[in-house]
Amino acid sequence: MAQRAALDAFWLPEGLRRASGPFGDAGLEIQERALGPGHLPMRIPTFSPHTLRELLAGLRERGSAVLTERPLVEIVGSIGTAAARLTSPGEPLYEELLDTLPELTGYSRRMIEIGLQRMGAGWTAQALHSAIEEEFGSLDLLDDFQSRPSGGYHRAFGPPLTVHVFSGNIPGISVSSLVRALCVKSASFGKTAAGEPYLAVCFARALAEEDAELAGCLAVSYWPGGSEDLEAVAFSEASAVVAYGSDETIGDVGRRIPPATRFIAYPNRVGVALVTRRALTAERARQLARGAALDVATFDQQGCVSPHTIYAEAGGAVDPLDFARYLGEALDELAQRIPRGVMSPGESALIHQLRAHAEVRGATVFAGERGTEWTVIIEESAEFEPSPLNRVIRVCCVADLSEALSRLEKVGPHLQTVAVAGETDEVRSLAARLGAIGATRVVPVGEAAWPTPHWHHDGRFQFLDLVRFVDLETD
Amino acid sequence: METQDALRAAVLEYIGRGVEAADAADADDFERLALEVFAYQFAENEPYRKYCERRGRTPDAVARWTEIPAVPTAAFKAALLLCGDPQEAEIVFRTSGTTAGPERRGAHHVRDLSLYEASALPNFRAHMLPDGAQLPMLILGPTLETAPDSSLTWMLERVRRAFGADGSAHFVDESGLRVAELEQALAASESAGKPVALLGTAAAFAHLLEALEARGRRVRLPAGSRVMETGGSKRLGREMPRDELYGMLVERLGLSEFYCVAEYGMTEMCSQFYDNVLRERARGQSPVSRHKVVPPWVRTQVVDAETLEPCPDGRLGLLKHLDLANLDSVMAIQTDDLGIAGPEGFELMGRAEGAELRGCSIAIDQWLSAQR
Repeated sequence: MAQRAALDAFWLPEGLRRASGPFGDAGLEIQERALGPGHLPMRIPTFSPHTLRELLAGLRERGSAVLTERPLVEIVGSIGTAAARLTSPGEPLYEELLDTLPELTGYSRRMIEIGLQRMGAGWTAQALHSAIEEEFGSLDLLDDFQSRPSGGYHRAFGPPLTVHVFSGNIPGISVSSLVRALCVKSASFGKTAAGEPYLAVCFARALAEEDAELAGCLAVSYWPGGSEDLEAVAFSEASAVVAYGSDETIGDVGRRIPPATRFIAYPNRVGVALVTRRALTAERARQLARGAALDVATFDQQGCVSPHTIYAEAGGAVDPLDFARYLGEALDELAQRIPRGVMSPGESALIHQLRAHAEVRGATVFAGERGTEWTVIIEESAEFEPSPLNRVIRVCCVADLSEALSRLEKVGPHLQTVAVAGETDEVRSLAARLGAIGATRVVPVGEAAWPTPHWHHDGRFQFLDLVRFVDLETD
Repeated sequence: METQDALRAAVLEYIGRGVEAADAADADDFERLALEVFAYQFAENEPYRKYCERRGRTPDAVARWTEIPAVPTAAFKAALLLCGDPQEAEIVFRTSGTTAGPERRGAHHVRDLSLYEASALPNFRAHMLPDGAQLPMLILGPTLETAPDSSLTWMLERVRRAFGADGSAHFVDESGLRVAELEQALAASESAGKPVALLGTAAAFAHLLEALEARGRRVRLPAGSRVMETGGSKRLGREMPRDELYGMLVERLGLSEFYCVAEYGMTEMCSQFYDNVLRERARGQSPVSRHKVVPPWVRTQVVDAETLEPCPDGRLGLLKHLDLANLDSVMAIQTDDLGIAGPEGFELMGRAEGAELRGCSIAIDQWLSAQR
C-alpha cells in the first residue's frame, strides 16, 4: 500500500497562527506521528504551556469580540452550511473524510458514510434552530436581554472559552460538541483523541470556508491525553470544560479542573434492550431482530448508546432462542452490507475466548463463521454483563422482565439508552421503571444508534448546561 | 482404562526419546499418537467432546494433528476440562486470580504429575543446564506451601529438587521479594566464585534490579551463572520491556546475555518453552536470534487472530499449541498470546492487548467487580 502523505490534524485560526513562518512567532514546531487504530501519519503542532496559553487567550478575545455581537441565527446558519460540506456526497470534504476516516479509525467505509450522514442530520441549521428553541424558548435569549414572565429581564451567556476533551470512539461527537459551544457563542478549543483526531479539524476547515470570522473562534489540536502541563493551562484558561471518555479519563480530568470552571462530563455509559413477550409475535420478531442487529452493528457497538445485553421475555409466540437466531441472521446480513471495522489481534482473540467460555459454560452461541464479525450468545440469565463490543451481543432469556429490571438497578448509574419492544402500555410502564433506575433514553428497538437532535444527552441539556444566565432587574 | 494406560505409556515413551530435534519417523509417530490422544480426549472429556461435535470435528473426521480442535484458554474458566474423575486429579493448577474473584480463575486438573515431570524436567535441563552444571538455585518465587496451586511454583519446586545444588533457596514470602537476603546470596556467590542459577518471574527480576539500581549496586556473578525469567504482563503486575530487563541483568549482575533465558509456560499446559540461546551457546554456537524452542512432543502454530487459520511464517498471529503431555485434559490449546513463527521455533510477542477475558473491554469492569 502506498504511504499516505501526512494529514494536518490541527486547526489553528488565521491571525493566531502568527505572521512569520507557518507558526514561527508562536514557536510551534510541527511533528509527525502515527495516530488512530490505523496508525495514519498526522502532523501535530507541539505546544508549550506558553504558546498554548497565548492561543487560548487569543481565542477567548476573539469570542468576546465576534460571537457576542453576531446574531445567533447567523451563527446557526453558517454552522449548518459548513457542516453540510462534511456530510453531503459530492462535497470535496465529505469525499476526503470517506477517504481518510476508514483507514484512520478502522471503521468500514460504509459505516463512516452512514455515520456522517446520520450525524449530519443534527448539524443542520433547522435542527439546531429547533433544538435551541426547545431549550431556551427562542434564539433571542442568547442575543439580548429578554423580558421574563415574572418581571425583569434575563439573558444567557455562553462560556467565553470552552475546552473540549474528545474521545476517539465515535467520529462526529467532537463536531456536535463544538457546534453546541458555538450555539451558545462560546469560543472553543478542541483537544482531540488519538483514536479520531481528524473530523473536528475538517469541521473547522469547512467553517472557515463558509464563515472565516466564526472559524477564527475555534482551534483544534492533539496532544497525548494526560499531558499535565498543557492540560493545566487549558483547564485554567477555560470557563467550561466538556470531556468525553472512560470513567478513568473523566475522573483524571475532573480532579484537575479548577473549582470555578464548569465541568461537563460524559463518562462510560452502557445500553441494553428489553423485548417483552407480547412483542415477540410471529409477525414482529424478525423485524425486531433486524432492528436490534442495527443497534448492535452501528459503530461496532462502540457508542454510549449501544446495547450490551438484550433481555427477551419467554412465553411469547416466538421463543427467545428463535429471536436470537433471527438476530444472528440479521447480523450476518449486516456483516455484508455494513462491514465491521478492522480488529486488533487482541480484540479478535477476546471474542474467540468469550465465545468458547460461553459455549463451554452451556450457553448457546450463534456466530459468524468467517471470523469474529458477529456473535450472539443466548442463555437463561438475568445478569447484566458488559459486552467486549465489536458486535458481540448477549441475549438473556428471562421468565419475566422484572427480573432484568431488578438486576439492572446496579447498572443504573451507568445506564443510558434502553431500546424497548412491547405494547404501548408496557413501554410506558417500563420507561417509568427504567427512568427511576437511571436510564436517560428509552427508544424503540432499532432506534438506539441515532439520537434525535433534540435528545437529552446523558439526561442533560445540550445548550443550557453550558450557559450562565444574567438577570437584569430594573426600577 | 486400558486405553488410558496404553496411551500414557506411549506418550511417556515418546517424550522419553528426548529433547533433541525429532526425525521423520518421530514425526509420523507424533501424528499417530496425537490422533489417538484426540480420540481418547473426545471420548472421556465431555465438554471438549461437545465443543468438537459442534464443529463437526469428530475423531472420524480428523485425519491430521492440525485438524484437532483447539480450545481457547478461557474455556478452562468455564468448565472442568478433564478426562475422568476430578477426584482423581493429583493437583489443580489455577490461573492467577485478579479482580474477577476466584470463581473466574482458570483451573487445570492434572491427573498425573509424573507426565508433567517427564516433560518439564528434561526440557528444563536441555535449555537451562545444557552444560550439565550443578548450581544452587535462587528462586525469586514463593515456596509450594505459600502458593500451592501455581503451576510455575510447582515446576520450580520440582526443578530445584531434581537439579538444585546445596544453597538453593526461595526468596519470596507473603511480604514479597526479600531483596536484602537475595543480595547477600548474590554477594556470597560473587565472593566465593561459585556460579548460581536465578529463577523467577520477569516482575521479580525487575524488582530486584530496580532495588540494585536505586543504590547504585552492581554484582559480578561468576561465569556460568544464569537466569530463567518467565512471563511479563501475564504472571505479575509490573512490566519492564524485555530488552531493558536483559540490559540490566547484564549491567547489574554481570551476566552474559546468552545466559538469560526466557521461559514461556501456561497454567493450562504441562509443557514449557525456553529460549534457544543458552543451549546453542553450550554447543559452541553463537545464537544469531532469540526464539522459543518447541519440544518434540509439542506442536505450535501461529494462527490468524480473526480466522484462527495458520499464518505464513513471519506474520504476527496467535499461538496455538498441541501438547501430548496434556493427555488428561485437552491437548490442543488456543491462546491469546501473540507470536511469529520462524524456521526453528517461534518468537513470543506478549499477550494480545485487550484480550484478557474480564467480562468487558471498557472501564466498567471496575464497577462491576466493585459491586460483586
